[in-house]
Amino acid sequence: MAKHETPLLDELEKGPWPSFVTDIKRQAEKNPDCWDILGQVELSYKEKITHWKHGGIVGVFGYGGGIVGRYSDMPKRFPGVEHFHTVRLAQPASKYYSTKHLRDICDLWEKYGSGMTNMHGSTGDIVMLGCRTEALEPFFYDLTHNLQQDLGGSGSNLRTPANCLGQSRCEWACYDTEEACHHLTMHYQDEIHRPAFPYKFKFKFSGCANDCVAAIARSDVAVIGTWRDNIRIDQAAVKEYVAGNIPSNGGAHAGRDWGKFDIKKEVIDLCPTGCMWMEGGELKIDDSECTRCMHCLNVMPRALRPGVDQGATICCGAKAPILDGAQFATLIVPFMKVSADNEFEELIEFIEKIWDWWMEVGKNRERVGETMQRIGLPTFIKVMELEPIPQHVKEPRSNPYVFWQEEEVPGGFSRDVDEFRARHAA
Amino acid sequence: MALSIEELKAAILKKAESAPKPQLYIKDFYACDPDAKPRVVKNAANDLVKEGKMMFWSSGSTTMYAMKDRIKDEEGAGGVN
Repeated sequence: MAKHETPLLDELEKGPWPSFVTDIKRQAEKNPDCWDILGQVELSYKEKITHWKHGGIVGVFGYGGGIVGRYSDMPKRFPGVEHFHTVRLAQPASKYYSTKHLRDICDLWEKYGSGMTNMHGSTGDIVMLGCRTEALEPFFYDLTHNLQQDLGGSGSNLRTPANCLGQSRCEWACYDTEEACHHLTMHYQDEIHRPAFPYKFKFKFSGCANDCVAAIARSDVAVIGTWRDNIRIDQAAVKEYVAGNIPSNGGAHAGRDWGKFDIKKEVIDLCPTGCMWMEGGELKIDDSECTRCMHCLNVMPRALRPGVDQGATICCGAKAPILDGAQFATLIVPFMKVSADNEFEELIEFIEKIWDWWMEVGKNRERVGETMQRIGLPTFIKVMELEPIPQHVKEPRSNPYVFWQEEEVPGGFSRDVDEFRARHAA
Repeated sequence: MALSIEELKAAILKKAESAPKPQLYIKDFYACDPDAKPRVVKNAANDLVKEGKMMFWSSGSTTMYAMKDRIKDEEGAGGVN
């Protein structure tokens, strides 16, 4: 029996798509506190103002992240959501769980919390929605002692690192994203569990430029698999695609008749750098012009494969739109070997160089991408001790002035004015 | 010359007690010892939380530090109303 009338929310149950309203109603049959979620949200829809209060001092002993305080500003009217804290659980690399583990987590959350979950939040964590302050410590004890499951990151911490399925399932993964993600998660436990920075910081690991974890859009350091030699071509398979004997895109477009496969229209003409052509019935690629965008490999996966000299491109500074609008990451290192053999030493050194700079010059609540934008890419590249390369240049210069550093000028900036005046009268 | 860890912690506590704003960002403590690396200041502030002398306040996206008796507590006086 519904505790509150919810005519506006009920509208969201109409239509063929899943509805969070239906989910909450179903959970409310088990846990009547959930009716107050619906009651409060209905009121917010009516009044066009939120009744959630965000933030607080809630947490578990020894941790400075993983729990986000949330309260109702109308606790007398909606006592079931008086405290409604969010708990973030660190997802394992690639989000591989046993069903037993998921059931155990859900059982624990029904015992201590509302039973409502969000699988998964945008950083990748399992998000447990709604629990009272006094339930946090017992929940955390059972979670860590009985399920060996840790909390994720929140606040000004390193957020739970995330990765694509990588080499566990995908032939295109150019490095072991799972190993990289797991290794860095373990390496940076202190930064994940306790605040360390001016604002949040995220890593994401994608095995190739298809970027299944949206690293280039969502992370401060995006590690995206790539290769630096040539695309491997199986010319016999190319012929099979052209003859229509192998469906393009692994059969992903099989639900509709798109006509005969046309390699020129679907592959060659769509290459962003125009580096492909057919010659004597064979597909040719000028690999020096290839940007490793993955389009041709996606269309003809049995004919084309990444090269064998594999590693990752490192891009920095992506973020979602909070202060200054959304921004994609900027390419910083075109190719880096990413390997567990040296415990990801080069990547760790790169990350810590960014942290040292950003912790020093970043403003409060400023993502590293915003700091890069405010201070300028030339400075960032210098801080990272990298040589500028053409790929760092977004567009031809529009500023007519050239600014030199002292070390770039023979003799530096100091000069003998008397000697100068002897040659040039004032 | 950089302060010792204990001197740095004392300077952080003094700042947290006397600052006009009760809740401070980690960067607000950098001035306690301009010679210390930001990571050292962060570790000292986090140690003070571990020792129970300061507390974290988190909005979910940002974390701030405050003395126990100065922190904004949604469940304290006035409750969550």
